Amino acid sequence: MYNNRMSMVIKFSIKHVLPISGFTSPIARNFVRLQNVCMYSSKATSSKNNVNNSFTDWETLSKKKKVSKAMKAYLERAKEHDEFMKRQQFEYNIGKRHLANMMGEDPETFTQKDVDRAIEYLFPSGIYDPAARPLLKPPEEVFPARKAAEFDEAGRPHHFLFYTGKPNFFKLLYDAAENIQVLHQYQDKVIRRKVTPDPNVSLDLNASVWLTKDQLEQMLVEGLNDLEYDNFKLVMERLVSLPYSYRYKEFIEKYRKSLSTQKFALEIPKPSYDENGCAIVTTYECLRKKARGDVTIKSPGTGKITINGQDLTYFEDTQPREQVIFPLIFTGMQDKVDVIANIEGGGPSGQSGAIRWGIAWGLRSFVDKSMLEAMQVAGLLTRDHRRRERKKPGQPGARKKPTWKKR
Amino acid sequence: MLSRNIRFLSRRYSQALTFRTSEASPTQQNENQIGLFYTMNNDLCKQLFSHGGLPKSFTKQAKTFTETALMVRHPALDVINCIKATDLNKPAVRYVLYGEKGTGKSLTLAHLLHFAYEDGFLIVHIPWVSEWLRRVPRHKEMSNSQSREGLVDIPLDAAAWLLHFKMQNQVLLKSGDLKISQEYVWSKREKTDAGAPLAELVEHGITRVKYACDVIDVLIKEIKLLSNSKKCKTFVAIDGFNSFFYPLTRLRTTTKKKVTPEEVSLTAPFMNITKNDWSNGVIVLTTDQLAVPADRQENYLPKYLLYQKGFEHLDPFVPVEIGRYTEREFMSCANYYRDRLWLRGPPELESELKLTSACNPYDFMELCAPL
Repeated sequence: MYNNRMSMVIKFSIKHVLPISGFTSPIARNFVRLQNVCMYSSKATSSKNNVNNSFTDWETLSKKKKVSKAMKAYLERAKEHDEFMKRQQFEYNIGKRHLANMMGEDPETFTQKDVDRAIEYLFPSGIYDPAARPLLKPPEEVFPARKAAEFDEAGRPHHFLFYTGKPNFFKLLYDAAENIQVLHQYQDKVIRRKVTPDPNVSLDLNASVWLTKDQLEQMLVEGLNDLEYDNFKLVMERLVSLPYSYRYKEFIEKYRKSLSTQKFALEIPKPSYDENGCAIVTTYECLRKKARGDVTIKSPGTGKITINGQDLTYFEDTQPREQVIFPLIFTGMQDKVDVIANIEGGGPSGQSGAIRWGIAWGLRSFVDKSMLEAMQVAGLLTRDHRRRERKKPGQPGARKKPTWKKR
Repeated sequence: MLSRNIRFLSRRYSQALTFRTSEASPTQQNENQIGLFYTMNNDLCKQLFSHGGLPKSFTKQAKTFTETALMVRHPALDVINCIKATDLNKPAVRYVLYGEKGTGKSLTLAHLLHFAYEDGFLIVHIPWVSEWLRRVPRHKEMSNSQSREGLVDIPLDAAAWLLHFKMQNQVLLKSGDLKISQEYVWSKREKTDAGAPLAELVEHGITRVKYACDVIDVLIKEIKLLSNSKKCKTFVAIDGFNSFFYPLTRLRTTTKKKVTPEEVSLTAPFMNITKNDWSNGVIVLTTDQLAVPADRQENYLPKYLLYQKGFEHLDPFVPVEIGRYTEREFMSCANYYRDRLWLRGPPELESELKLTSACNPYDFMELCAPL
């Protein structure tokens, strides 16, 4: 009896868990993008409560005679969606309770965190992409909120640029142009006062770039063509070129994306000092291919390199030796530091690559900022994550195909 | 063209002082010349090393540079000073040169040979033992020994060595002071009389290749006798000596039986001459990882390479380690390569090459070749 019930429960839960997992992944991926609707479209409603509140109004509204056709269609769609969401919410709650029962926990205090844990435990999945694994999420997370009506019940749009077809984009251009005008006026005023602009407060744009077309499209929730994107850049450049553009810093920053921030600069470890006053930095987990090891750098030193107790002759070939000395030569520290490396696993090329990365990573503590940037550009601070590719059945190697022979 | 030559010449002589020494005689060299190159006379070089003795890659480079320049290094000077200070009436002293691959054991030996030649030694020099025991060309002449049962002769190699011996000692052999102590009968018709010059014995081995191995056996015995009786002083130099003690050679008899080094008739005489039961002689040997197969190359120390047997055979000996280049030697060598226009490019090149080659002379040479 108990078994039977249990199996029913599992059946039920699978039925409810898996279908969602089946088709949510694309939606979930779009979710982030669609969230922007709420943030940037002027009249969008975001939260679920809002949707529900307005839903109660719509029934009374629809009874009124003076409703445009567009509004009618919209209301119908909204109603449908609302019912769908209600149904999903109900199913989600039931699924959650079942999961709680299966896990032997209290369904009332069963949180979303517990749900994720339970799913991971009950439906272990080896699928590579996390987005494709089974999941049970609240429906408002899985199904994005819709754009709310952009017009009132009489069919009159809220947005003054509604009839351009791309109100958000043209609003942006409009704002930019207005800002330019304001800045011109300000400049005139300053000139009249005979004050020179302070060069210290000027806008620094070296660390960021304009949003790409895709990013801008995501932000505005509107498709753009190339010409429109060019116009956007043109207007923004014009705005930026003005001497007092820093007054609209916030507006400009919104449409710029900062280049990859140099995180490594912030996390540079402070060297520890031994009894002789030598600065020591040890980098653990120097990995490349199958090689694992750690590298210690001592400064000041004489350029002695020790690898597993031997000197550089640990590597017999020239290529791995060059790999190891490259960061030292590049930074010009070959006579200033000692290197001690312990490395195991893999072959010469992997081991030398790991040591090279370890030395470069450790040298960050001993070089100045410009050299650090040069090292970054030279690729010394980049981990090489490539691994051996597996051999495929039916062909002689990972990519190599059998010799093609006509017959 | 002319201006270019002048430019090259002026460059050469502007740097000449830093890496070259004009002291071409090893007997006169001293501590001041350490790390400097001296040029060997071409005729002398031909006489001493025409049948081997210099490593192949070095010969090639010397040909490119149109001169044979050797670096005066510390171990060689040490050994020379020791030899100079030795009382030759005492039993022969054995020096064993050892070191990592490519550090210049053979070239140090060549330097010592030059010294021995200048100092008037009778030279008994094997350029590379493995040439006999481990190198098997398609047609290696082999036969069973006539005189000694169960041994294998390699007559062609033996004859070649006799030629080498004759070439190296032509001055001493010509003088005719060296006489044979007893009569040797090779066959019914052929014999070498007692009192005949040593050169005749050598000549016999070269012309009658069949008896070359036996001739060597006799020759070594005679050389020992001559040295003991103070007729000459002898310098024995054997490169890759540890090859005699590796359990197997790569030779096979006609019955496909594997041959051990003891079964090669050439082994016995050279074992004989490396004992210290004779006087008026100097013995310099090298132990080399490259003389034995890869399974015995883990370490470069003589005790490992010589096995227990060889170590006991040589005990007591003077070990001489040949190390890598020191800072000064390295810079001198780099300057020499620059002078020969073998190395070009910015001066930072040296520091990188130094790290990459780890100051190993052979590695440095190989790295510079394509630059």
